[in-house]
Amino acid sequence: MRFVLRRLGFFVVTLWAAVTLNFLIPRLMPGNAAIAMMSRYKGHVNPQSLHALEIAFGVNQHQSLLSAYFTYLGNIARGHFGISLTFFPDTVAHQVLQALPWTLCLVGITTVLAFLLGTLIGLISGWRRGGMLDGALPPLFVITSAFPYFWLALLAIWLFAIKLGWFPESGGYEVTSTIGWNWTFANDVVVHSILPALTILVTAIGGWILTMRNNMITVLAEDYVRMARAKGLKPWRIMWTYAGRNAILPNLVGFAMSLGFVVGGAILVEFVFNYPGVGWMFLQSVENQDYALMQALFLMITVTVLLAILAADVATALLDPRTRDRA
Amino acid sequence: MTLPSVADSAPASPQTVGSGPADEATRRRVGADLWRAVSRNRKAVVGALLLLFFIVLAVFPGQIAPYSGTAEIFPRGLGPSSAHWFGTTAYGQDVLSQLIWSTRESVIIAFAVGGLATAIAVLVGVSAGYLGGTSDGILSLITDVVLVIPIFPLIIVIAAYERNSGLFTLVIVLGALGWSYGARQLRSQTLSLRTRDFLEAARVRGERKLYVILFEILPTMTSLIVASFLGAALYAVLFAAGLQFIGLGNPNSQSWGTMLYWAENNEALGAGMVYWAIMPGVCVALLGAAFALLNYAFDEISNPALRLRKLERKGVRTLPEPAPAPVERSDQLLEVRELSVAYASDAGPVVAVDNVSFDVARGEFLGIVGESGCGKSTLLYAIARLLGAPLAGEITDGQVIFKGRDMVTLAEKELRHIRWRDYSVVMQSAMNALNPVLTVAAQMRDACEAHSDMTKREIEARSREVLRLVSIDPVHLHSYPHQLSGGMRQRAMIAMALLFTPDLVIMDEPTSALDVVGQRSLMVQIKELQERLGFAVVFVTHDISLVRHFSDRLLVMYAAQVSELGRTDQVFRKPLHPYTRGLLEAFPSIHGPKVRLVGIPGSPPDLRRPPAGCRFSPRCPHVTDRCLTRPPALRDVEGELVRCVLYDNGAAPEIGREVATAAERVQ
Repeated sequence: MRFVLRRLGFFVVTLWAAVTLNFLIPRLMPGNAAIAMMSRYKGHVNPQSLHALEIAFGVNQHQSLLSAYFTYLGNIARGHFGISLTFFPDTVAHQVLQALPWTLCLVGITTVLAFLLGTLIGLISGWRRGGMLDGALPPLFVITSAFPYFWLALLAIWLFAIKLGWFPESGGYEVTSTIGWNWTFANDVVVHSILPALTILVTAIGGWILTMRNNMITVLAEDYVRMARAKGLKPWRIMWTYAGRNAILPNLVGFAMSLGFVVGGAILVEFVFNYPGVGWMFLQSVENQDYALMQALFLMITVTVLLAILAADVATALLDPRTRDRA
Repeated sequence: MTLPSVADSAPASPQTVGSGPADEATRRRVGADLWRAVSRNRKAVVGALLLLFFIVLAVFPGQIAPYSGTAEIFPRGLGPSSAHWFGTTAYGQDVLSQLIWSTRESVIIAFAVGGLATAIAVLVGVSAGYLGGTSDGILSLITDVVLVIPIFPLIIVIAAYERNSGLFTLVIVLGALGWSYGARQLRSQTLSLRTRDFLEAARVRGERKLYVILFEILPTMTSLIVASFLGAALYAVLFAAGLQFIGLGNPNSQSWGTMLYWAENNEALGAGMVYWAIMPGVCVALLGAAFALLNYAFDEISNPALRLRKLERKGVRTLPEPAPAPVERSDQLLEVRELSVAYASDAGPVVAVDNVSFDVARGEFLGIVGESGCGKSTLLYAIARLLGAPLAGEITDGQVIFKGRDMVTLAEKELRHIRWRDYSVVMQSAMNALNPVLTVAAQMRDACEAHSDMTKREIEARSREVLRLVSIDPVHLHSYPHQLSGGMRQRAMIAMALLFTPDLVIMDEPTSALDVVGQRSLMVQIKELQERLGFAVVFVTHDISLVRHFSDRLLVMYAAQVSELGRTDQVFRKPLHPYTRGLLEAFPSIHGPKVRLVGIPGSPPDLRRPPAGCRFSPRCPHVTDRCLTRPPALRDVEGELVRCVLYDNGAAPEIGREVATAAERVQ
């Protein structure tokens, strides 16, 4: 019970920190970016919305910092994120919901794939210590993990789209095709997603291989693995139920965090490929000085991370009976 | 961007820093050892050379670059030539020169952010770990919050308000957000150090907290601090390049990220100015790889389990003497012949079991005793063919004949069929030996399914039966190991070992995790079961008094060798070897008169450098000149085997008498 309460406390504090950062950053930064933005809103927005924006960005000098802070918190709690400048007069919430599925599909699927593949390779590589796989892959992926992945995306476009022409250069679908639930459009979407997906996969998989391999080596030294050998179990069984299952536990939280970073995690890949997801929209909002949209996206990214960590807590409890009892 | 933490989260094992009793001396050696380990690691050397290369470029761009990078203008968009190795940009600047001039900013960012983030990480992590209590609670909470806040989006938000921010702002922001992962590791390392002797000593001396942290704790964590620095530096290089690439840095600055920004804006790849777009990325990747390789190498160094050592069999030196002729018995079960086991170490092979021979009859109880570090457990695991990480030992010589077959040459596949059916193993701590994520029932089922065609119901029935054998209520069958008490876990493990009623049960200090009362009752139970079911037992313990009433014969091991082997009652009545005598004197007698416990001064020798003559000579009260030069041979004295020069000419009466009084005390 204490464990659950502490986790809840952690979630609340993190959420509060993100919201407060959103409130403080525009006030701490010198320069009048926000005022410049406000002047562009004038005349387009009703006075009530304008007032909410003033509070959010600290333009309104008549209100004390503290009371502005609480008004701001109230607005956030009721889900009033303001109005997007870029997509005026559409609301921020509506815009975000449009971009979200693209990112969730592309980055979500590749993140899960990277975790599964990386964990599998790491598991085998740690199990066959000093073997062919173990000799080649970990050093290779130490190096690729240091690659700037937006640059890999550039290379992929150059090689596979420009030089070889195998895949389209950018976008989530052909501009000419109509969006809908049909085979042609689905095919179009898949073809457009392959290059960005490969880029994310190549850069994300290395971390999983390395951590899983190291976890595996640590776990293989445990007495219970030796005990499993003493019992004469099949190597396959020892590898999965005794070594693998214990080695994967420390990685679950990391996996959940990476799931959380799905929404905000491939900003640069979406940017390079002009992929119509949340990351691309986030950078668009920065480009257009559309701070309401930008801050809403940042909050959403933080919330998804927290949700993912919550999911990891549940998964760990399911796989590890010790945590279950502690909670 | 994925968190840098994902790439390098293998925790450094706490026991690797300053092991052994001499903490003070160990701490002094940390620096030298670290340097030696680094210079031997290939990844570390490659990483360091790469880093050095970039540092030289960063310091002397003017001397190295052919042109100024921005000022000199050439024809636009040239391809590679001898004058311009990597061509020119769309603005007519030399790409190679720009690359070299841009090195400085990336190197500065890497070191400044690495330094800043590490400083914060040390401050927060060590304080949290050392202070504990509420301070720890608050600091840990802050660390966790910073860890999960999505850093890259946050940096973009900040940069969006503060465009064209200078190098200084970039360093401050990256440093202020990139410390949390290192802080978490440093905290747990500090927690594990808190109870160590040298810190207790400093506390008793009344040293101030700051002094303790700076001069006692930090030096022991060098490798972790270095790793934290390298991780932060890698993250800084990548994040800074990403920010500059999307135009959120100063577009007039000279950096690889800005080069990529301009290359992308001018569609360099499509326009054929390939090197302009590729080379800055290569530079970022190489500088990043330098940090990543160094980081990985330090991980390996601070966690030796990750390193794979290979045993050089050529260097293995064992006793040259032949085994005593085996006693021919019709009921022979296990025959160990001239068995030697060696480990690989940085200082060459270490022989942990040196030419050991003995045999065990059916139903016999053999006790193997000796202090920690004498090779008892290694011997046991060699017999059971369970050597391997972390005891990366190898059998270098000898035979283990079990039921007529040599276990040493048996292939793993054939071995699997006799494991657990014919012989089983009980380990020191059931807490570690039972799989924490499986119920006791599941772990019993595993073994049954591996060796029989029993149905689910039969397995369940058999599992209940063996639990009842060790007097555990079968309701506990479906519990997880951590839900059982220490004594119950230990019994459950013994129950598991009896699933197939094997001929031999190998036990490695199965009672040492229990209190004295628990030890006794478990011993009695083991003995009862042994007599009832008729299996033989090889029982390792450091507590010679524990096996006094239970074992038929006793094997005393010292420094990897057999010192004495004989019938238990005879060894207790008349211990021959001075070491056996010392062991007997180290334990109080319950019945005899009160006498001062003598024990044995000193501790067993380092097996990497055993004494030249008799290995016990440095601690022996009867040491003579002969002992120091020539290793004594194993002699047969009245049916017992003993390795001591005192018996080179038969029995030695002068020590025999003293020994007798010592033994009386124990009885």
